[in-house]
Parts: sequence; C-alpha cells; structure tokens
Amino acid sequence: MISLVIKRLQRYEGWVGGAAALCLVTGLYLGLIASPPDYYQGEVVRIMYVHVPLAHTAMLAYGVLFGASIWYLWKRDPIVDNLAHAAAGISAFFTAAALVTGSIWAKPTWNTWWTWDARLVSFAVMFLILAGYLMMRTFVDDPEREARYAAVLAIVGFADLPIVHFSVEWWRTLHQPLSISMRGVSMSGEILVPLSVMSTGFTLLFGYMLMVRTQMLYLTRLLQAKKGRLLSHAHVAQSGPQVGSQPSSAH
Amino acid sequence: MTRLYVRWSVILVAGIVLAALASQYHARHLAALTPETVVATSPTGTAIRVIGMVQGGTLEGEVATGSLRFQLGGAHDVLPVQYQGPPPENLRELKTLVVIGRWIPETRTFVAHDLGLVANYGFVMAAYLAALIPLGLFVFGMERRVSLLYRDIKESKIYEPEASVHVDGT
Repeated sequence: MISLVIKRLQRYEGWVGGAAALCLVTGLYLGLIASPPDYYQGEVVRIMYVHVPLAHTAMLAYGVLFGASIWYLWKRDPIVDNLAHAAAGISAFFTAAALVTGSIWAKPTWNTWWTWDARLVSFAVMFLILAGYLMMRTFVDDPEREARYAAVLAIVGFADLPIVHFSVEWWRTLHQPLSISMRGVSMSGEILVPLSVMSTGFTLLFGYMLMVRTQMLYLTRLLQAKKGRLLSHAHVAQSGPQVGSQPSSAH
Repeated sequence: MTRLYVRWSVILVAGIVLAALASQYHARHLAALTPETVVATSPTGTAIRVIGMVQGGTLEGEVATGSLRFQLGGAHDVLPVQYQGPPPENLRELKTLVVIGRWIPETRTFVAHDLGLVANYGFVMAAYLAALIPLGLFVFGMERRVSLLYRDIKESKIYEPEASVHVDGT
C-alpha cells in the first residue's frame, strides 16, 4: 500500500520542488531584507531564519526514517527501505548544515563556536547516529540484512530525538528555550513570519529531495540487479555447460 | 540531461543576480565607514554610516531629550559626534555602535540623526552561504544522478526482456 502512495506522490515531484523554491525565495527576501534586526541580537538574528528550519527539517527527516524503518521491519517492503535510506541521507545533510549555521550564529552571540550544551551535544549525537546508519548501509553485503540492521539502528537512535527537543526544558542550557510550545508563541510576528515561510520552504524541499533520492536509490538497485544478471549470464555463457544449471528466465 | 542543466543554469544565474543585488544593497544601505575614512575623505552629500566605539568620559547631554555629544573612536582617529534624534536606547560609553548622519567638513563634526547596532553581516552571509551552496550542490547531484541512471537504464534496455542463455552447449 505504502509503495503505491510513494509512487503516486512522485507524480507531484515538480510541483513540490517549485513550491519549495517559491517559499525559499520569499523567505530569503523576508528574512534578509524585509524583517528588522532584533533588539538584542541585532542583524545576527537573520541566521535564525535558516538555522531553525534546517534543524526542524533534520528532525522531521529523522521522523520519516523512524516511521519507514518500523514499516520496513513489519512489511519488508524494499521501496519503504529506499525511502528510509533516502530520509537518512537527507537528515544527515540537514543536521550537519544546522550544526554549522548554529556554530556561526554562536560566535557573535555567545562568543564561542561550540559549547558542551545539552541541545548542541544531543544534536551532534543525532548526526553521529545518522552517520553510523549511512556507514552501515555500505558495510553489509547482503541487502536484506543491511536493510534490517539499519532499520533497527534507526529505531534505537530515535531515542535521541526527544532528548534533542526537550533538552532545553530538562536542563539549564545556554541554548534558548522553545519559542513555540504548548505555552504559546514567544516571538514577535516580524520574526515569526519569515521563520514560518522558510520552515514551510524547507519542509517542501525535504519532500522534493525525498522523492528524488528515493527514486535515485531505487534506480541504482534496479541497475545493479540488471548488471548482476547480465554478468551471471556472461559467466554462464563463458564457462559453458554446468551440472544443475538452468536456463535463465530473469526479467 | 539538457533540461536538467538548463534548469540549474537558470537557478545559478538567478543566484548570481540576487547576490549582486544584495551586494549593492549592502554597499548602499548597510556598509559602515570607519572614523579614519571619514576624516581622510571628508564625504559630503548623502547620509553615511560610521562604526566606532563611544569614547569613555566624552558622553554629554541628556539621553531622554535625544540631544547628545560624544566622541566616536576608531583604530587611530576620533570623530566628534553631535547626535540629535529619537532618545537612543543603546547609547552608552565604551559601546561599539553605528552612527548614521552627515559629516560637516567646516566644523569637522559628524551630525548624527540615528544610531544602529553593529551589523555582523559577515556572520549572516557566512551562515547563508554555508547552508545554501552545499544544499544546492546536494540537490543538483541527486537530480543529475537520477538523470544518469535513467540514461544507463535506457542504454542497457532494462525494460526489455532479456535473452535466455542456453547452457547445454549445443
């Protein structure tokens, strides 16, 4: 069922990409030109319009990875495994970008590039989990075992996400607390509007990237399978008749 | 493949145009001169922005009235500033800030009508470039790979039925 949903959604790939581009261009205009500087942070607040959406999208991508991994272990659908693999790569990229932009923001604001703060450390751990996931996908030879081990790792690693989210509530951290929570919104509309537009843009971009990357992984496997079959044909043809060999009927 | 390269060329050109416009906007509205440059070049005409530190013991006047005098220090030179504008919230001695106004060469005084915070545009630009350039390359790389895979699949005729191999040696 979910494979069918993925295939149907991929028809709208171009529209999603276009909408993402439109939102991002609007968000860049609002964030860099139209919005005023912050009273305390000054112009540096503009980094928030790219850093916060990157971090949110990284966590959203991990959420997709988590859901797809559970689904894969349940149904063993290779298309869903492709989706999980694609989400992991994108999440790793967004996590790294969020760490870099956060570090650039921290230098003028906290006067340091890095500090051992709970939010920063838990987010860096998330990056390491994703890096481990992607490494595992290259180390295991058997594709079925590779997908199974990776899914288990992704599910176990999901335990870090609540820690990332609530770290600013659970511990006294240098990182500012949640600006949007059940208690309400603690930021002005001048900051909220560009932030929302950029967040929407990055979410749509993630959707687009997920479609493209899932397609990429699917086609890579398809081609590998085809080449594998062709190689085995050539091997059989070169080595001549063998005991117990059957004519190939692969399609 | 051609469509892919055309689309990304358009994105690249749009990016370059936006960067050029942003650079012009920065030069016209956001870039600040140093007190040394103002003293050396004596710019007249349009309002300019000057960045420096309010020298200790030089702040005179009432903040509440918005009429103040102070000296703005750079690396070597000091600029006498006469501020007349809205009551400033961020003005205090030993604070680095941006003053906006005109240089009067006859009196060698800078008449300011507004104050601004230190911009730190370098950090803002670095963060955006560090995020958007790799993001663009990442998406382009994926799209290009998909196009190449489609081409390879087409060339290898993957959707055509494969010829069966006879292994009986006859």
